Amino acid sequence: MTFLAFLLIPLIVTILSPLFERRVATWISALAFILPMFSSLYGLLTMHRGEEILFTLPEPVGDFYLLYDPVSHAFGFTICLISAMVALYSLPYMSHRFEEMHANAEREFRKYWFLYNLYAVSMLWLVYSGNFLLLYIFLEISLLASFMLIYLYGYGNRQWVGILYFVWTHIAGVLALLGFLIIAFENQTLAINAIKTVGFIPWLLIFLGMVVKLPGLGPHIWLPWAHAEAPTPVSALLSPLTVGLAGYVLLRVYTIDSSFIDTYRDLIIVYALISSVYAGLSVFKQRDYKRLLAYSTVSQMGYVLIALCLGSYGLIGLVVQYMSHGFGKAILFMTAGAIIATFHGLRSLDKMRGMHEFIPTIANAALIGFMTLSGIITIGMFAEFYILVGLTRIYGFNVYLIAAVVLVFVISGLYSFYTMKSIYYGTPLKYEKPKFSKLLDVPLYVIAFFSIAFIFPPLAPALLDGLRAVLGVIP
Amino acid sequence: MIEVFLAMLLSPVLCSLPVAFAWLIDPKPEWARKLPILAVVGLFISLICALQILFSPDRLVKSDWLPEFNINFVFIIDYLSKIMGTLTALIAFLIGVYGLEYMKHDYRLGWYWFFFNLFTASMLLVVYSDNLLMLLIGWEGLGLASWGLIGHWFRDDDELSYVGEVGRKVAGQNYFWSPSTGGWRAISTIRVGDMPMFFAIAAIYFFTGTLNISEIHWEEFAKEVGSFGIFLILFLFMLGPFTKSAQLPFSEWLMTAMTGPTTVSALLHSATMVAAGTYLFMRLSWYIEPWNLHSEGIEAIYIIVLFLGLISAFYGASVALGCLERKVLLAASTMSSLGLMFASTAACAWVGKIAILVGFWYLVTHAFAKATLFLVAGHLIHETHDRFCVGGKEVAKHLKLAFIATIVATLFLSGIPPLTAYWVKSAMDGVMHSLEHHFGYLPLFLLVVTSAIYSAFLAKFLSLNFWKGKEVHIHPHGGGLMSLAYIAMASMLILLLYIYLTGEGFTKLHEFAHFVEEGFLTSSLMVGIIVLVTYLLALYKPRLESPIGKALGDRLYMPFLNDYIVPKFGWFLAKIADYGNRLIDFTCHQAIPSLFEVYSLGVRSIQSGSMERYVKIVVAVVLIVFLISAGMGVTI
Repeated sequence: MTFLAFLLIPLIVTILSPLFERRVATWISALAFILPMFSSLYGLLTMHRGEEILFTLPEPVGDFYLLYDPVSHAFGFTICLISAMVALYSLPYMSHRFEEMHANAEREFRKYWFLYNLYAVSMLWLVYSGNFLLLYIFLEISLLASFMLIYLYGYGNRQWVGILYFVWTHIAGVLALLGFLIIAFENQTLAINAIKTVGFIPWLLIFLGMVVKLPGLGPHIWLPWAHAEAPTPVSALLSPLTVGLAGYVLLRVYTIDSSFIDTYRDLIIVYALISSVYAGLSVFKQRDYKRLLAYSTVSQMGYVLIALCLGSYGLIGLVVQYMSHGFGKAILFMTAGAIIATFHGLRSLDKMRGMHEFIPTIANAALIGFMTLSGIITIGMFAEFYILVGLTRIYGFNVYLIAAVVLVFVISGLYSFYTMKSIYYGTPLKYEKPKFSKLLDVPLYVIAFFSIAFIFPPLAPALLDGLRAVLGVIP
Repeated sequence: MIEVFLAMLLSPVLCSLPVAFAWLIDPKPEWARKLPILAVVGLFISLICALQILFSPDRLVKSDWLPEFNINFVFIIDYLSKIMGTLTALIAFLIGVYGLEYMKHDYRLGWYWFFFNLFTASMLLVVYSDNLLMLLIGWEGLGLASWGLIGHWFRDDDELSYVGEVGRKVAGQNYFWSPSTGGWRAISTIRVGDMPMFFAIAAIYFFTGTLNISEIHWEEFAKEVGSFGIFLILFLFMLGPFTKSAQLPFSEWLMTAMTGPTTVSALLHSATMVAAGTYLFMRLSWYIEPWNLHSEGIEAIYIIVLFLGLISAFYGASVALGCLERKVLLAASTMSSLGLMFASTAACAWVGKIAILVGFWYLVTHAFAKATLFLVAGHLIHETHDRFCVGGKEVAKHLKLAFIATIVATLFLSGIPPLTAYWVKSAMDGVMHSLEHHFGYLPLFLLVVTSAIYSAFLAKFLSLNFWKGKEVHIHPHGGGLMSLAYIAMASMLILLLYIYLTGEGFTKLHEFAHFVEEGFLTSSLMVGIIVLVTYLLALYKPRLESPIGKALGDRLYMPFLNDYIVPKFGWFLAKIADYGNRLIDFTCHQAIPSLFEVYSLGVRSIQSGSMERYVKIVVAVVLIVFLISAGMGVTI
């Protein structure tokens, strides 16, 4: 009952937040995610597992219940932490954005907080959903809320980008829904604990849908548009949290029935590797900070798909990768936003050099963000470790695959530090040292703290032993 | 005991935080210029802890990390780690003291001290780790800290911090490097080695179920994975040490790393970073005991390391001979020394444990000598405001202590009998000589040639800075703390000599007795004399003015690998990816939507509302149906 109570807090706050003045609404929203963050952290530390039935629907839907296990808690923790920190960060950033749009800030903030909280809470509930239909509902809500946010407050040609985002994610959504429906008719239920088998066709549909959402090479083309043109706090949820949820869905389907992946493992891993390397290479050519980060997301999501093919160690890697990418990318998008907010819309790499001179705290946060992406003394190290162990377990000494996975990791490190060099170091350009709100940099360090703390006890054993208990039994 | 380790690792980092935060929060923190003393106190605490560990019995110290996975924090106290740890802590502390004065007026003290202390702590973690994953944390910490320190002067605005003649081009390519380039080059090169090494660690974990070097049954492991398997794992593993220790072809980053403050170069080149690679190889060999194994895969690895080490040593020494920049010369010489350490350690596969000890004590000797030379170089750069080797007798007169320290360091390092390095080098001659049955005289030959060149460029360094270099006028002021540091460092060489000659019984392995025994062989003495001759020759004629000297000074054009070949190839691939993205973007977001537009227009043009048009369409459709029916032979 207690966990449900904590999950209800942000839901209630979503409805109430438009009633408050912007400053109060900010803090209430942040708090609404910090409380469930602690509950999921508690769940991780105690390796809590359980179910809580909300209500039962007739066949073929089955029980709507909340699913608690270390996987949900790990995802839930990440979502809460990042949503809370981005909420705080939204205050100075969106104030700047509304000013730029010549909008009435007080009124817009009321809309903003409703949509923002709805977006974040739907993702939170998604990872605790014990029924695929419930999961799909939250998936849709999160898409609608994020679509609205892009449509209303985005940059550039925001209506066009918003619709583009809407169409692509609905292709993903419809494919997944079709898959879920077939599962429902085959099993007479959609409750995760009651589904026995997932046939080839539904697996394929869900897989394709999630590859569009993740995204893999090909469909990835929507992502740079959406993530670059969304208002930065929304980018900082879209990229770290939303796309990775495709990995979560695949993981849940996999734990029920792994037949699809087992059969097509070789094909999928090759696709994932190409996708990751390709996106990694694309990063180097980007001259827009946010687009650059968006391509890096595609590359990082390749890790998730790779991890999916690598047995139980790989699955542990998948969860840890979601967390590490979430932490790292949230920090990085917020650094991009901080530059936009303090240097009046500056996002072109051509106009940035030696930025460390003006904004050292942001530069150092970006360093930790990139360290997290490349797995240097941060939680990302474990993601890479489990992926590599899984690789050895499934493929042994397959020299080509080893080389390819190593290449993927190398490229991440290279573009990370290349970007650091071209944005933050070198002879500084002529800018003034700005003064900015503490909310633009302190939340980044809170996330950074967790990124580093997760390699040490007590967090590391709590997370990894818990994941092992859930996922380790899968062959 | 675990508390001692914690104190040792955490105190430097924690003590550097005040100064780091001062600089992060306040843009002009003049009030915080005394805080670095606290950071040095942190280094001192590490030294005390290391000394306590030095005098403790050998054992493993464990603490839980991921017990379910059998991955734990395991510190090892054994012969190698005890001495290496003390060496690291001592050198870091002395350089720290030197840095108090050297970096006094720097604009970025917070960054400097945080990364300097993180660097030391990371190295100590590498030294005492038995667990490979924990070692990897330290290993990555070294990479990160070195990146931060090499690119310390990130503004790229001070010519004194560059490498190469600013403005010079070779074959259209800039032949000089800024600090931010140096930092990027270091971390990008290291990354290429670290990730394969990470895979090897994961593979070792998967096959043996443990990550503790001392607990792995290497023989069983080698049998389980087969000859190719063990070769692959060890080869990928060794890419980490190769890149970190700048062996060919990964050497360039070490040369451009000279863009960092001299203190950093001194630490990087003596007991941390580059030494970490060789140290790790020694630690691994210590427990693999390749001389007891019969695995073709393992033997192949040791052959590769042996020759790669020797060739890198030869390359490094030759390049140093042509170099005219103080720090780059020393960097190339370090590369050479590292090659010798690798080669000597690799010889253990045929010679036994003594070869590791020879490599290890050479590392110790080299560390003190090289740190001394770097610290002197830093002081000279401070006084002469020149990165290149300049200075005549006047410099020697004004900076007597620096002059003396340089004489001691060069003489003691080059292997002139009967000074410190001579005894170790003699033992190394012996080791290479014993490889005769396997590889002929080639290893010994390479070693002797390298040693001869090595002593020549050390003499050149002495000569060009204090005797025959371009005369410069200097007005030294202060420098007391700096001189103190390098004199202390140089005197360690004399202490070491004392230990070599009398230290039998200090350890139970009698390696020093072996060194002395080897030193009294006629052949060793011959090599010693060759080395002395080249030393004296170079002292009198320090410049190598010929095209060969020029090519050597340009590092045999190795920079083209990093500046031209690799980036060209990388950008080519990136460009392809970019074109691909544009194509997909166009197809999905332009072509397909406009196709829909075309259809939509077509459909809409039908619905014009004019009766005549509708009739025409109906007639046309009917006609078409008739025609098709007729064509198919259907009669109505």
